[in-house]
Amino acid sequence: MNKEKRIGIPRALLYYKYNVLWHTFFKELGFKIVTSPATNKKILQQGASLAVDESCLPVKIFLGHVDYLKNKADYIFIPRIASFKKNEELCCKFQGLYDITVNTFPDLNILHYNVDVNEFRRESLEFLRMGLTVCKNPIKIFRAYRKGKFKQKHLQKKKIRRQARLLKNKKLKKILIVAHPYILFDGFTGKTILDYLKSQNIAIIDADIAQKKLVKKLSQKISQDLYWTYNKELVGAIDLYKNKVDGIIYVSAFPCGPDSLVVEICQKKIKNIPSINIIIDELQGEAGLITRLESFIDILEYQQKSAKNYKS
Amino acid sequence: MPQKNKQYYSLGVDIGSISTKAVVIDQNKKILARAYLWTQGDPIQAMKNVLKTVREQLQERPGRITWVGATGSARNLIGSILQAEIVKNEITAHAIGALTLYPKIRTVLEIGGQDSKIIIIDKGIVADYAMNTLCAAGTGSFLTSQSKRLEINIKDFGSLALKSKNPAKIAGRCTVFAESDLVHKAQMGYPKHDIIAGLCNAVVDNYLNNVGKGKKILAPIIFQGGVSKNIGVVKAFEKSLNSQIIVDKNGHLMGAFGIAVIAQEQGTKKLFDFSIQDVEFRTQGFECKGCPNNCEIICVLKNHKFLDGWNNRCEVGMAKAKEHFDK
Repeated sequence: MNKEKRIGIPRALLYYKYNVLWHTFFKELGFKIVTSPATNKKILQQGASLAVDESCLPVKIFLGHVDYLKNKADYIFIPRIASFKKNEELCCKFQGLYDITVNTFPDLNILHYNVDVNEFRRESLEFLRMGLTVCKNPIKIFRAYRKGKFKQKHLQKKKIRRQARLLKNKKLKKILIVAHPYILFDGFTGKTILDYLKSQNIAIIDADIAQKKLVKKLSQKISQDLYWTYNKELVGAIDLYKNKVDGIIYVSAFPCGPDSLVVEICQKKIKNIPSINIIIDELQGEAGLITRLESFIDILEYQQKSAKNYKS
Repeated sequence: MPQKNKQYYSLGVDIGSISTKAVVIDQNKKILARAYLWTQGDPIQAMKNVLKTVREQLQERPGRITWVGATGSARNLIGSILQAEIVKNEITAHAIGALTLYPKIRTVLEIGGQDSKIIIIDKGIVADYAMNTLCAAGTGSFLTSQSKRLEINIKDFGSLALKSKNPAKIAGRCTVFAESDLVHKAQMGYPKHDIIAGLCNAVVDNYLNNVGKGKKILAPIIFQGGVSKNIGVVKAFEKSLNSQIIVDKNGHLMGAFGIAVIAQEQGTKKLFDFSIQDVEFRTQGFECKGCPNNCEIICVLKNHKFLDGWNNRCEVGMAKAKEHFDK
C-alpha cells in the first residue's frame, strides 16, 4: 500500500520553465520523480512518428518524451495552461497539450492541472484540485505548492543576479539569445548552438531570464498588442538588454506561428544591432547552422575591430 | 641571396555543392592561377583536379605556396585534407573577396549553386547578412535543371533571355510551382526566349523577396557567384533595383579569392606540398551506437589511416571512430 508512487515528468516544453516547482510539489506529496533524458535522436524520431505532420517540432519532441516515460511511471504529468491573465494567452500547443496527449496515448494515467483565467481556473486552486486526486490532505498540498513556488522564484532571482554580473563583464563578447527555453535548452534543438557559442568563448545572455513584470511593460515599446504571454516576455527582454549586448540571435523552431510573427516584427523594429534568425527543423543539418553562427560572430568581430580603429 | 627574391603565394579553395573553385594569389593580391570545375558529388576528386590545373598554371612562376585557406560547404573535409590553416564560412570569404577588389562596395548579392545570400556592408565592414533558409528555389541548380528541361545550354541562357521583349510571368516562389508554370507557359505557345527571360525575372523576384527581404540595398552593388555569369539575371537585377550592378570577371571565384586573402592576412607561413594530389583519401561513415543519438560520424582516411572526422555530438564517438579505423 505505502509503496512510493512514481510520477513521470517529460523533459520538454514547460519543463524548462517550471521544473523546480513541479519537482518540489510532487516530492513534497511523496512521489518518486522520473524524468526523461535530454532529447536524443530516438526520442525525436518516436515523437515525430506519433505526432501529426503539422505539429511543431517542440510538440513532436514532447510526445517523444511522453512515449519514453509511458511504461516507467504510474502517472504522467501533463499540464494544460491556456492563460494567466486577461487578454493574454499561451500558444495553442500549451492549450491543447493535454488533449493531444490523451488522444495520442489513450491508456495513460495522467495527472494534470488546467490554468485558464477565462474559466476562472487559477494556478493555486488547480494545483490543489490536482493534488486532491492523489492526496487527501489539502493543507499538505497547499504547502507543497507554496514551497515549489518559493523555490522557483528564488532560482529565477539567482539567475537574474548571475546574468547581471555577466552583463557587466567587459572582456567577454555578449550575445542575447531570444528563444523559448524549451528550444534553447533542449538536447536536440539548442545544444549545437549553445555548444558552439561556448566554444567561441561568448557569453550567452538569455532573454528568458529577466524580471517578468518589467519586461512585459517594456514589450509595449515594440508591440502594443502582443497577446502571447511568453513572447511578450521575450520581446520586452530585447528592449531591456539590447544596449548591453553585441548581437542578437533569434532561435525558433519550424513551424512556429507566434515566433514567425514576433521575430519578423523585432527584426524590423530593432535596428543598429546585428541580428540573425535561426530556424530549426527536425531534418537539421549541422553544417548550415554552424555556417550561419560562424559568419555572425565574424561580423561582430569585424565591427569591434573597426570601432577600435575609429577611436584610435 | 636567392632567398630574398622568393615570392610567397596564397592558395584559396572554395568547394561548393555544385562547383569547385581554386585561386592562387601573390602578396599583392594579384590572381596568378585560377580553376573552376564541377564538383560532381565528389569533393575530394574535384579538389585534386583543381590543384592539378592550378599547378600547371604556376609552373613558370618562381614563388611557392605558403598559405592555404578553405571555404564552401565541404570546407571541413577539404580543409583537413589540405591541412589548411584557415577554414572559414563562405559568407565571410565572399565579403572579404568583394571588399578587397572593391573597397567602396555597399551590397553584395551572391547566388551560387545551392544557396543565395546577401551581404550588407557599412563603412567597409560587414554589417548584416542573410542567407536562404529552408529552400533552394531560385539558385543556380534550379536554373540548370530548367535549362535542361528546355534543352538549352546553360551558357546560352543569359544571351537568349536578352532577346525577349515580352518576358513570360513565371511564379518564382517555389521551384515546384515554377516548373509546372513553365511547362504550362511552354504548352500555351510562349517562345523559348520569353520563358527564359521570365525565369530570370522569377529568380530575381524570389531572391529579393526571400533573401533580400527587409534589407536596404544600396549602391554600389556587386553581384557574384556562379549565377552572376548569367547576363539575363544581371539585367533583371538592374531593372528591378534600378541601379547599375558590378559583375567582376572573376565573380565566380570570389569565395576562393576571399579565403586566399584571409589566409594570407591571418595565417602563419607553412610550405604547401602539391604531392597531396597523389595521396589516396577516402571518406567513410561510422555509426557510433554509444547512445540513442547514434551519430553517424564522417571520417576521412588518408592512406587508410584516420585523419579527421566530424558530425559527432560528443567526444566519445570520435575516439571510437579513430580506434575503429586505426586498428
